[in-house]
Amino acid sequence: MSGPRVDAKVVLLGKEYVGKTSLVERYVHQRFLVGPYQNTIGAAFVAKVIAVGDRAVTLGIWDTAGSERYEAMSRIYYRGARAAIVCYDLTDGSSFERAKFWVNELQTFEENCRIYLCGTKSDLLEEDRRRRGVDFHDVQDYADEIKAELFETSSKTGQSVDELFQKVAEDYVRFTAFQLMTEEKGGIDLSQKSSPYFYSCCHH
Amino acid sequence: MEQISKDFSELSTQLTGMALDLEEEMRQSKEDKLDLSPQTCRRDSVLSGKEEEDVTMDAWRMHQKHVFVLSEAGKPVYSRYGSEEALSSTMGVMMALVSFLEAEKNAIRSIHADGYKVVFVRRSPLVLVAVARTQQSEQEIAHELLYIYYQILSLLTWTQLNHIFQQKQNYDLRRLLAGSERITDNLLDLMARDPSFLMGAVRCLPMAAGVRDAVSASLQQARAKSLVFSILLSRNQLVSLVRKKDQFLHPIDLHLLFNLISSSSSFREGEAWTPICLPKFNSSGFFHAHISYLEQETDLCLLLVSTDREDFFTVSDCKRRFQERLRKRGVYHALQEALRTPFYSISQVGIPDLRHFIYKSKSSGLFTSPEIEAPYVSEEEKERLLGLYQYLHSRAHNSSHPLKNIYFTGPNENLLAWVTSAFELYVCYSPLGTKAGAISTVNKLMKWIRKEEDRLFILTPQTY
Repeated sequence: MSGPRVDAKVVLLGKEYVGKTSLVERYVHQRFLVGPYQNTIGAAFVAKVIAVGDRAVTLGIWDTAGSERYEAMSRIYYRGARAAIVCYDLTDGSSFERAKFWVNELQTFEENCRIYLCGTKSDLLEEDRRRRGVDFHDVQDYADEIKAELFETSSKTGQSVDELFQKVAEDYVRFTAFQLMTEEKGGIDLSQKSSPYFYSCCHH
Repeated sequence: MEQISKDFSELSTQLTGMALDLEEEMRQSKEDKLDLSPQTCRRDSVLSGKEEEDVTMDAWRMHQKHVFVLSEAGKPVYSRYGSEEALSSTMGVMMALVSFLEAEKNAIRSIHADGYKVVFVRRSPLVLVAVARTQQSEQEIAHELLYIYYQILSLLTWTQLNHIFQQKQNYDLRRLLAGSERITDNLLDLMARDPSFLMGAVRCLPMAAGVRDAVSASLQQARAKSLVFSILLSRNQLVSLVRKKDQFLHPIDLHLLFNLISSSSSFREGEAWTPICLPKFNSSGFFHAHISYLEQETDLCLLLVSTDREDFFTVSDCKRRFQERLRKRGVYHALQEALRTPFYSISQVGIPDLRHFIYKSKSSGLFTSPEIEAPYVSEEEKERLLGLYQYLHSRAHNSSHPLKNIYFTGPNENLLAWVTSAFELYVCYSPLGTKAGAISTVNKLMKWIRKEEDRLFILTPQTY
């Protein structure tokens, strides 16, 4: 389910109430909605174009529901994803345990998916340091171990949100270019006439 | 026509002893509440988006209708008011009652006591219980409980629900239902004020037949192989429904879909893609529903039901094609216009004593009803009017003694019910009119409905 109009599929995973929807809301609409908590039903899809250098990359973002009910279905949402933003609530230790569960899932089923750990609600720590429920260095060690990037964001203030998605898009461009150059193909696919990679040097 | 002057509050008082025990238990659940850390309580209430009530307070006991869902092991699954933990002993007693009678190869259906009806519905592996002070009949309350059961099935499927409890009898189902409390709460609130559920039918958004036909044709053209139903709705009113040939959508399934959409604002962001079971259609599997609003600021919501969970982008493209067709046919504007007047006034009918009516066409599963106007302005008055319709409905459909015609004279209004094999009509008149006057104007009302039917109903349903 990567779709024709999308360059990179990005999936958000994590325990319910960690703020996955708020993160997307901040990134896509530059806003933070205050009001009663609304859990996501199933998953929500939104496409967003982002510039990387002089290139436009379309991110197809899947905001999944955190509820256990959809766990069995979750594979349809992360299958073929190029990037997974695994979220946990910086004030809730149990949400980090849940994040580890998702990392294991991804490592088992989606080897080629890059993982971005995202600690949310950092503004709550600004207000009161003692509310931190997940130690920064523990997560940093874990991130190194699984070769993941680590971000601490606030959808309320916008802190590090754009940077997170920018990094996702840049890595996508960097790694796909790398893949194209190193990928060993058995032969030339004649049906791929439009591919600029094969024609750019001798066509004009 | 039958004259009815029954005192609503007059209810049988059998099994009073048991009901009192039950109340005693509700009071005792105070101790359980103390066991809970305030932390868990607060978190739960944040997740469900509502403040949990203190079950020891009088306010909790004064609610018109309590609804409880529990597993056969007596574990709480859902409570309409108050947290489930605080009510676990109450639910234990409820299960004990059910089991006690079952041991005797019997089944408990209801307890009537002190103005309360306690209604039990058993759908293994779940037990559903309502404690109601409303004037509804036992059957109607049981009917509402069945809706709650179907609501749970729509999230889990019957197959999965049974599988879970076969694996582990004392499973805590709230884990899987987390976040769905709002949907169930909304369904209960909706049933208390929307006659759709009582009628077992769906209300259409009134609009010119030409506009509706153009919308339906656009929807029909934007098809895909995996699509089973395409539905356009606005605030619980149906605009158009296109279905696969030979596949029919049961009103209960449609109500559950409407309720799902009206209970969550999260569909306003992006495009949702969610598994959903339509229990009346097939309770063993999931469909996948694509849910999105046509534009940010409108209430027009498009629901595309697909059999293939991998088909998101194909189905998403159907939406794009549908919107393109709407624009090409130039009906977008007319559609927006129809949204501006979602209800019509009773005065359009031109019968002076007429206050309100509900007309259901049985063959189409659709009903029409004007806006509820003065004197039914306050919420209490609106619910009282619906209560009167409920009463007439239950009399008309009483299994042992059904009635075709009812004329009811009350202190504040007179009502008439007329049930045939083709339609059901419930009419509310001012209290000053007479029975003869009501009967003579009913024909005029029927003529008006027939004249307007292509605006009020979907007369030419489309298939792919």
